[in-house]
Amino acid sequence: MSDPRPALRSGLLPPTNEPLRIAVRRLRWFRAAFTACVEATGRETGCRFAVDQTKLTEAFVAWLRAIDRQKPADKQDRRDFFEFAAALMLRELIAVMPLRALSAPDRVAAESPAAFWPEGHACTLFCLTVFTAASDQEFHDHPTLSADFGDLRHWWSFRENAGRDPAFAAGFLQLMLGHKPNWVMPDVFRQRLKQELAPPA
Amino acid sequence: MTNHHPMRPDPIPLRDALRGLRHVMRRGGETLAETLPVSALPGPAAGLAGALLRGGGALVKSVDEVASSLAKKVLVGEEAHAPSLRAITRQQGADAAFAAACYAALRAALIRLDAGQVFVSETAARLAYQQAKPAADRAPEANAADLALAMIDQKVLRDIAAADAARLPPATLAPVTLFTVLLWLQSERPEDEDEAALDSAADLAMVLAPDVTAACAARDAARLAALFAEFASHV
Repeated sequence: MSDPRPALRSGLLPPTNEPLRIAVRRLRWFRAAFTACVEATGRETGCRFAVDQTKLTEAFVAWLRAIDRQKPADKQDRRDFFEFAAALMLRELIAVMPLRALSAPDRVAAESPAAFWPEGHACTLFCLTVFTAASDQEFHDHPTLSADFGDLRHWWSFRENAGRDPAFAAGFLQLMLGHKPNWVMPDVFRQRLKQELAPPA
Repeated sequence: MTNHHPMRPDPIPLRDALRGLRHVMRRGGETLAETLPVSALPGPAAGLAGALLRGGGALVKSVDEVASSLAKKVLVGEEAHAPSLRAITRQQGADAAFAAACYAALRAALIRLDAGQVFVSETAARLAYQQAKPAADRAPEANAADLALAMIDQKVLRDIAAADAARLPPATLAPVTLFTVLLWLQSERPEDEDEAALDSAADLAMVLAPDVTAACAARDAARLAALFAEFASHV
C-alpha cells in the first residue's frame, strides 16, 4: 500500500529575500504563497478552486492578531510556537474558508481526504507546507506527517467538529504532525505547554 | 552672479484644474449619453444629438492630451516609485512630493475599489500635508493618522457620489481609500512590489473598514495610529 502522506514541497513557495517567518506575515507574500499551493494541490488532485481574496485577508488579519496575543515571552518556547502558529493559521482559514472547489477532484481516489473535503485538504496542505519550509529554515527541522494523514476517520471528525468550532482545526493540524493536542483548548498555547510539561500519570 | 529664472506657475493647481475639467467632461458625457434617448429621437434630431455627444468625446480626448502633455513637460512622473512616508518627511518640498505620491496611489486604489470616477485633488493633498505638519522625528504612524484626518478635512477625494458601483458605501469609501494609501506609504516595499503592496494595503483596509471608518468619524488619531502601527509591516 502506498504512503498516504503528501509530499510537502517548499519549492512551491514564492521567492523572497526575507526569512519565511517574516515573509509569511506580509499579506502580499502570504496570498501569493496560498495561491501557489492551492493551484499545485488543484493540479495534483484534478480540482479547480476559486479564492476569495477578501476572506483570505480576513483570515490573515485574524491569524496575525491571534499569534500576537499568544506569542510566548520565553524564547525557549519559540520552536514549539512555530508549529502552534501553523495550527492557528489553519483555524483561521477553516473559520472563514476562502476556497471554493469549482469541480470535484478527478485525479484522486474517492475515499481520499482530497476528494472528501477538497477545500479543507488544500488549506491543510498550505499550512503544512509553510510550516515545514519555515522550520527547515529556522531550525533545520524536517517535520514528518503522521501516518494517519490519509485516514478518513480523522478527516470526518475534522470537518464535522471544525464546522461547529474552528478551534478543532488547530488540534487537527497538531495531530497530523504527530502530537497529542489538548482537545479541550486546542488553540490555546499555554494549555499545550501545561500538557507537555505535566508529569506522566 | 544673479540667476534670473522666469517665473513659473505652480504646477499642482494647474494640473488639478485640467484634471477637474477632464472629470467634469467625462461625468457630463456619461450622464448625457445615459440620459439622452438618442435612438428614440426623430431622424434629424438624433443626428444632431449624436454629433454633440461625439463632439463631447473629442473634447474630453483633447483635454486628456493637453493634461498629459503638460504633465510630461513640467511635472514629476506620476508613475515613479513613491518613497516611504518617513523618507518624504525628510526631503525638501515634502508637501509636493507627498501630494504627487498620494495622487497616483489614490487613483490606483480607487480603481481597485471600483470607484475610479471619484476625483482626487492633488492641491488638497498638499494642503493636507501643510495642515498636518508631519515631523521627521515623530513615529510614522502618528504622522499618518494626522495626515488621514487632514486629508478628510481638505476633501482630497471629491464627487464620491460619482462612484455608484464602488465596492464600499460612500461613507466608508474615503476613509478606506485614504487608509490604504497611507498604510502603503509606510510599508517596506521594493519598487517591483509597489503594485502588489498597494493591492494588499487595499484589502487590509477593506477588512479593517469598520475600525478605520469609526476612528475617522470620531477623529480618533490615536486609534488610527494604532491601526497603522499594527499593520504597516504586514502589507
